[in-house]
Amino acid sequence: MESQLLTLSFILLVLVVATNLARLWHPHIFLSKISSLLLYLALLSLVSTLGFRIMGANRVPFANMYEFTIIFVCMVLLVALFIRTSHPSPLFDLAVALLLTVLLSVASSLPSELRPLMPALQSNWLHAHVATAVIAYACFALAFCLGFLYLLQANLPAADLMSIDEKIYKLVVLGFTLLTLVIITGAIWAEEVWGNWWSWDPKETWSLITWTVYAAYLHARRTREWKGRKSAWLVVTGFIVVLFTLFGVSILLPGLHSYV
Amino acid sequence: MVKAKKEKPSYIAWLSSMRFALNLLIGIGVITALGTLVPQGQDPIFYLDHYGEMLGQIIVALSMHKFYQAWWFQLLIGILCFTLLICAYQRLRKAATIKSAGSLLFHLAIAVILVGAAWSLGYAHSAAVEISVGDKISLSPHGFKDGELTLASFNIDYYPDFQPRQYTSDLSLTHYDGRDYQQLVYVNNPLRAGNLKIYQSSWGWIMNLKDVSQAVPQTIKIKNHGKYQLDDTKMVVLGAVFLPDYAEDNKRVFSRTPLPNNPHIGLTLYQAGRLIDAAIIAPGQEAELGAYRFVFEGFTYYSGLQLKYDPGVNLVFLGFGLLLLGLMARYWQLIFPGKGG
Ligand code: HEM
Repeated sequence: MESQLLTLSFILLVLVVATNLARLWHPHIFLSKISSLLLYLALLSLVSTLGFRIMGANRVPFANMYEFTIIFVCMVLLVALFIRTSHPSPLFDLAVALLLTVLLSVASSLPSELRPLMPALQSNWLHAHVATAVIAYACFALAFCLGFLYLLQANLPAADLMSIDEKIYKLVVLGFTLLTLVIITGAIWAEEVWGNWWSWDPKETWSLITWTVYAAYLHARRTREWKGRKSAWLVVTGFIVVLFTLFGVSILLPGLHSYV
Repeated sequence: MVKAKKEKPSYIAWLSSMRFALNLLIGIGVITALGTLVPQGQDPIFYLDHYGEMLGQIIVALSMHKFYQAWWFQLLIGILCFTLLICAYQRLRKAATIKSAGSLLFHLAIAVILVGAAWSLGYAHSAAVEISVGDKISLSPHGFKDGELTLASFNIDYYPDFQPRQYTSDLSLTHYDGRDYQQLVYVNNPLRAGNLKIYQSSWGWIMNLKDVSQAVPQTIKIKNHGKYQLDDTKMVVLGAVFLPDYAEDNKRVFSRTPLPNNPHIGLTLYQAGRLIDAAIIAPGQEAELGAYRFVFEGFTYYSGLQLKYDPGVNLVFLGFGLLLLGLMARYWQLIFPGKGG
């Protein structure tokens, strides 16, 4: 059931992509309604996927990359639906749906068998750490989508760049605050479980790099020559670093966080 | 941001400018990333083998194999800390609103964390010890204050499929700094005694054998998969494997489960690296291997513990608290407009 629902979610998101391509070519209120409906259905389907997972495992679905990716996709979609209410744009829907189809493809290629929690993962810090990470990364994902729109529309005279910039800023502020919590809860947990709050493990190190990129963004936005386009590039880069921290590190740089 | 006043030395203005902070952050990010491209902590030979003579030598010469401990990396962090303090000092007078005070606190907290980390780097001490059930060890030979550590029992809790669920040591620490401690220590639950923490980190089986071929029978303690030197001059070595739930089929011997339901020991005798004899026996039984005779007297768990004394970690955690407090003060209003602030 779980895998069928995942496939359904994927199909719904592909339909969102198609609908919004049509919308770009021929804007119509009907198509915009379809896009909304499909996005809500996709969220419903993804939440049900998670529900089946939780019932099957009888624990929080925080144990491996597969589970994390699905929650992450849910959260991105949830925040996107929220932002959409004040930023209805086919390009935005398109960017979000494209990103989510890519993420779901990644999820479906990850090992998904149910495993019990190993001793190191049995900690309340796990819950705090993963929950904050999901929301932080979802904020960065949407900042990325908006940053992308900003750069696409930077030369269009009619584009409301100010409002996009303002939204990106708020998302980064929330994401950065939560990422700070992710790193802190991770450090406290590492001190509890390994006896070292920081050990330059690749995952830790890359989360710190992510943190400096967004700190750089927050500074850039207040630096005259970095305002606007350059800082939009920073949020785009930032999310690429997030993706590397999430997936690239686990695959390319093995370390203590080997829970793939 | 702090506008440079005319009378200030220009390098201070430069160091405390927003642009410098931005470049520093990007620089630290890029340099930190470079460190994850080089596998850390291997022997220098490893780098010469894998990266070729030239690149290998550069890596070792610049300590890139100990990237984050290298002097130039620590210097970079030192510069960051210094800059943060200068900025904080300059912004002190302007921290009039909750927002600006929050920002100030946030930046200072980073410096607090770095100072705590440096303190740990200088004064923390850790050691790994192994202790058998029923044994007692002293801490001072391991470089800690006096104290005795006793392992009353060790237990492994399994899931139905025999994946480990938890490892638990019943530990007591006595006469440490004039106090006694007793606690179940398990993964994610270390024992705390002031700045000393004791962690569950590994485990294994340890077996008791008696060498009854000697005029005076000798007791031998040997770990699972361990080796014991019986005779230095003749290079005779005893190896042991523990089979907690012994079973055999026509191809091999194995352990059905990790539980000691049918304990046996597999003994191997080597001379000059060559296998000369082997036997499998149950507790109480005797085995003859070469010129030796061993009685399998019993077995128990040993627990691997990580001991760490770290006076800096509390300052780091205080820094974490200040960091969050500062962030909240700075951004509460932005994230939750209309409420608070
Ligand atoms: C790890 C290093 C640093 C981090 C993570 C960091 C983070 C931040 C953040 C999140 C802000 C708020 C931005 C905003 O309000 O939009 C900020 C502002 C600021 N930072 Fe930093 N910063 C760092 C280093 C520095 C350094 C080294 C300096 C000193 C040159 C500095 C100077 C400033 C100034 C002047 C502001 C503006 C004041 C304000 O917004 O309240 N920062 N920084």
